[in-house]
Amino acid sequence: MNAAAGLDLLSIPDRIQSEVQRAIQRSIKGVEYISSSGPALGSTPKDILHVRGTMNLYHYRPMADEIYRVPILIVMATTNRGYILDMVPGQSFIEFLLKHGYDVYMLDWTAPGPEEKSLRMEDYVLDFIPDCIRRVQQDSGETDVTVIGYCFGGVLSLLYGSIFADGPMKNLICFTTPIDFREMKLFQNFSDRRYFDVDRLVDSVGNVPPEMILSSFEMLRPASRTASQVQLWENIWNDEYVKSYRMFDRWATDTLPLAGEYFRAITKDLMWDNKLFNDTMSVGGHAADIARIKVPILHAVAEHDHIVPYDAARHLITKVGSTDKEEVMLKGGHVSLVAGANAIKRLWPRLDSWLGGRST
Amino acid sequence: MADKSNDPVAIWQNMIGEMEKGFNAFANQAMTSPEFSRAVNQVGGVTAGAQKQLGDLMEKYLVSMNLPSQSQMVGMAERLQSIEGQLNEIKALLHQVHSKSGASDGANPAPPRPPRTKRPPARGGEPK
Repeated sequence: MNAAAGLDLLSIPDRIQSEVQRAIQRSIKGVEYISSSGPALGSTPKDILHVRGTMNLYHYRPMADEIYRVPILIVMATTNRGYILDMVPGQSFIEFLLKHGYDVYMLDWTAPGPEEKSLRMEDYVLDFIPDCIRRVQQDSGETDVTVIGYCFGGVLSLLYGSIFADGPMKNLICFTTPIDFREMKLFQNFSDRRYFDVDRLVDSVGNVPPEMILSSFEMLRPASRTASQVQLWENIWNDEYVKSYRMFDRWATDTLPLAGEYFRAITKDLMWDNKLFNDTMSVGGHAADIARIKVPILHAVAEHDHIVPYDAARHLITKVGSTDKEEVMLKGGHVSLVAGANAIKRLWPRLDSWLGGRST
Repeated sequence: MADKSNDPVAIWQNMIGEMEKGFNAFANQAMTSPEFSRAVNQVGGVTAGAQKQLGDLMEKYLVSMNLPSQSQMVGMAERLQSIEGQLNEIKALLHQVHSKSGASDGANPAPPRPPRTKRPPARGGEPK
């Protein structure tokens, strides 16, 4: 070894050979990448319990011989598809829950059609979620239901829980759920009320197009898409890397449009007036004060979340009225908290150990 | 073993990572300014306005050509959705009647549900 330079001269031919092989593999795999589709996502066996417009309620088929008494209803964020929680076998949160003995239902969304532009916040909180809860109760034969909300699904679950504080929600788990929208600095600036005319936008386009939602997410880290493509090219010889890239890239770009009236309410009530944080939020005339939530609650937040920064999420646990409440901060970002290798070793076991004892 | 500080691949990867971080931080700083918000929303407002005008024009054109316009298609979709909803209700009712009668639907029947008796594992790993 050349100690002064820290360079192992003998390893150079091996290194060159390895790089040449990778370059050849890149060319071959690059062609394969273009000509093939990604892995099938969201393939855990499930039954569709109910479909109503943008709302879809699934029941996943149990995978354990014995299951916990309390079923789980997962409320997905309205901007994205639920298969982020059901990527591929071995990397599926749903599969993990099923194998650990939970009975899992999911409220997932499809793109609202033009005729659904008038859906309001109350349709989501006072109709869709309660309707799904009723159907879960009916299907499972159980009164109690645990609700898990991801990102804005967490906000909807909080609103639901604060209005229906007397039940039947037994436990609430929120993943990366914002409540102080002042702290979502960039989104705040994008929707600055002095310059952003939400009424004009909604009145013009009806539903807010997915391209607009996607670009607002991508603008939070404008260089990351290019950098990830460079990294993909470097690692295209590595099948596991490519598989993972394709799964996450497909999900991240598969953004849903938002119903116009619903978007108007989010902008005015949450982004502009920060009503959830200020305890002045109401939905369809019902006060939605999260201090009314008394059920056991777990809030999982990510250390490097660029979409929902910790400052936007940290007050949730202090503001809910529950005595059994816990916040866990785990390494990772907004998506890697719930899916991928990071989630498998960190969040999922943590959630299982918290929820198991509260599901009997 | 080769030192990473002399590994050209590691240097390249590190450089890309640093450039990404640097550009993101710079852009984020620029995007927090009111000028950025004003500029973006001016462009967005103009685009939305143009889109609405084009939509109105297209609606008139389609009516004059005796073709269904978007609003008519939306009306149709609403009716279809309502029919679909009613079909789903009927399907759910049939499913209930079916499961109560204990008959099998043959093609791909859902397996029987496991009992809801699971207990969380005790600290030692055994069920409580």
